[in-house]
Amino acid sequence: MTEAGSWHRVAAVSDIADGEAKSVRVGELEIALCRVDGAICAFEDLCPHAYALLSEGFVEGGEIECPLHGARFEIATGRCLAPPADRDLQTYPVRVDGDDVFVEIDTQG
Amino acid sequence: MFLRNAWYVAATDREIGRTPLRRIIMNEPIVMYRTEAGLPVALEDRCVHRHLPLSMGKLVAGDILECLYHGLCYDTSGACVKVPGQPAVPPGARVKAYPMVERYHWVWIWMGDPALADPATITDFHWFDDPNWGAAQRYLHVKGNWQLVVDNLLDLTHLAFVHTTTIGTRALVDAKVKVDRSPDDVLVTRWTIDAPAPPTFIKAGGFTSNVDRWQIIHFTPPSFVRLDVGATPTGTGAPEGRRVGGISMRNLNAMTPETETTTHYFYGQAHDFDIHNPNTTEMIMNQITTAFLEDQAVFEAQQANMLQMPDAPQVDINADTGVLQARRILDRLYAEEQAALGSRRTAAE
Repeated sequence: MTEAGSWHRVAAVSDIADGEAKSVRVGELEIALCRVDGAICAFEDLCPHAYALLSEGFVEGGEIECPLHGARFEIATGRCLAPPADRDLQTYPVRVDGDDVFVEIDTQG
Repeated sequence: MFLRNAWYVAATDREIGRTPLRRIIMNEPIVMYRTEAGLPVALEDRCVHRHLPLSMGKLVAGDILECLYHGLCYDTSGACVKVPGQPAVPPGARVKAYPMVERYHWVWIWMGDPALADPATITDFHWFDDPNWGAAQRYLHVKGNWQLVVDNLLDLTHLAFVHTTTIGTRALVDAKVKVDRSPDDVLVTRWTIDAPAPPTFIKAGGFTSNVDRWQIIHFTPPSFVRLDVGATPTGTGAPEGRRVGGISMRNLNAMTPETETTTHYFYGQAHDFDIHNPNTTEMIMNQITTAFLEDQAVFEAQQANMLQMPDAPQVDINADTGVLQARRILDRLYAEEQAALGSRRTAAE
């Protein structure tokens, strides 16, 4: 599954506050980082509906709500839970090493 | 869309006196005056006889309002108490009376069910009365829907484009914004760190180097937007709560719908420095008014286009987060109010 991925350091663990999403960038990719039940999750930082930055939305429980029109997603899986978005979010594997947070980007595209 | 069961600012305290004042609010013509005891009164501004505005008449015999046309007389409850030339007042000869409360140098009116009018629910604007602040108030008539004004105040990125000579700097655009919401409030917080002070702040605060600037916008339905704004020299600790060596102000806004496409815009500014110097208050109000006249031109051009193309869709951007959360609250309150009225209208739009 991960044979073609490459790992990128994107943040320090201490950069990621509870109840908020942090926006980071890897190349051209906008990625949001969020902590759920102690584990850091990474997902695409773009609402499929109207292209808002999801990291400016509302983190409630294990979900994030788009700041604009109320689409909701499960943070851990990227699963779309409420319209007007109509697809799941891309998620990225996360590894924590000390205070460094890495995400794996699939370079096969 | 009007929310009726709420207090709105109808006039400044100085506007209402013994000369009747006419003002349209939510499409209803209203006449306002003060009793001999000084209490504000608001009545439907339309004689039940032949529709002439009662505001064209005058106060006679104390607090009786006499119609200019045929002399019908009304008391402060809206009841017609005298019809010249006949002994009895016809049944049903009464105009609507609106609850009024005077507070914070504004006079507030309740447009909905009078039984629900609780003065304790008037939004706090104590800065206009507070001895620790200097403050002043002004009024603008806007040919635009009241929600355009609410939107404007909830997204201050426009300062960087519209208000470059007063309160705008380019650094605002990229500053991080945080939106907090609760069922009946929206709070939008923006910190612009280590950036040049805008021209108005330099005039008011004498800054000679970069500042940390805060804009904390508090929306309270239906149409109140109170801004905690200010700046301190960079690095002196304002983001951590130590506001020293700078200036702090409150920009205070109350929008009252006149019609669906026009608004009574009551605003004011309070400042915590040089508070007893009327020249300072005047300078600040002039700066803010310069900016608000620029906004007024924007509202009126928006509204004109919206009337021209009423069905045109609009696109939302990230900066609209506070705007859309506020609109969501208003839509919900409107739906609740309509449901309570047993109306068939819905908030579908």
